[in-house]
Amino acid sequence: MASSDALPGSRRPRPLSPHLSIYRLTMTMAMSIVHRISGVALYFGVLVLAWFLIAASADASTFAVFSDFIGSFIGRVVLFVVTWALFHHLVGGVRHIIWDAGYGLDAPLRDQMAWATLIGGFALTVFVWIVGLAIR
Amino acid sequence: MADHPSDLRTPLSKVRFLGSARMGTNEAWLIHLTSLALVPLTFSFVWLMLDLLRKDYNGVRGELTHPVPAILLLAFIFAGIVHMELGMRSVIVDYIGGQSRAWALAANTCFAALLALACLYATLRVAFT
Repeated sequence: MASSDALPGSRRPRPLSPHLSIYRLTMTMAMSIVHRISGVALYFGVLVLAWFLIAASADASTFAVFSDFIGSFIGRVVLFVVTWALFHHLVGGVRHIIWDAGYGLDAPLRDQMAWATLIGGFALTVFVWIVGLAIR
Repeated sequence: MADHPSDLRTPLSKVRFLGSARMGTNEAWLIHLTSLALVPLTFSFVWLMLDLLRKDYNGVRGELTHPVPAILLLAFIFAGIVHMELGMRSVIVDYIGGQSRAWALAANTCFAALLALACLYATLRVAFT
């Protein structure tokens, strides 16, 4: 508890929830961390979409610069990582919607859902890349 | 915190800063609402991008003059960037304190607003020309 002799109206330290240094790593905890990391990755991944749209709204030579980047090895890697972040965050988000509705919180199912998030995110990414490479 | 008769502090001063400021529910509602909307919108977005990324300049512009892909893309951008701004806000609040928190929150909102305007403007420009 904060010292009770704090000045009236002054800010006391906010209570913190115990996390990394308190609990050992579990699957749900790992997926919670990856959910946040993939969200932050998407935050900057949107810049690729913005570049694509701005290039498409400009002229053909500006668009060619984007096309060359996204067709290059580094461009492909960036696009693959963003695709994975998008699908992982999507599947993780659906898991959170299910949990928020009050389902799937019991012991075996919550870990199975965390594993399903990890596997589902990769499976959707690989599937979309196979389709993408097949139709190009 | 025993109530001494000589204690001059008001009951209000003792409970201030100990609980909710009643400002978080709208944020929580919006991030959940956008997450729900983004489930179908993400699939439509990926579907569209699979098509667009194999096209050249004229092909991309031609596709986005159709109303359905353009509207779904605009909806994805709008819901996505609102969701992203709120998500980063909770990350900032978790890890950054003091004076730099306010700067980080301001930078987050400005970045998201600029990105949203750029994406929406570019999409509409392609759609209407």
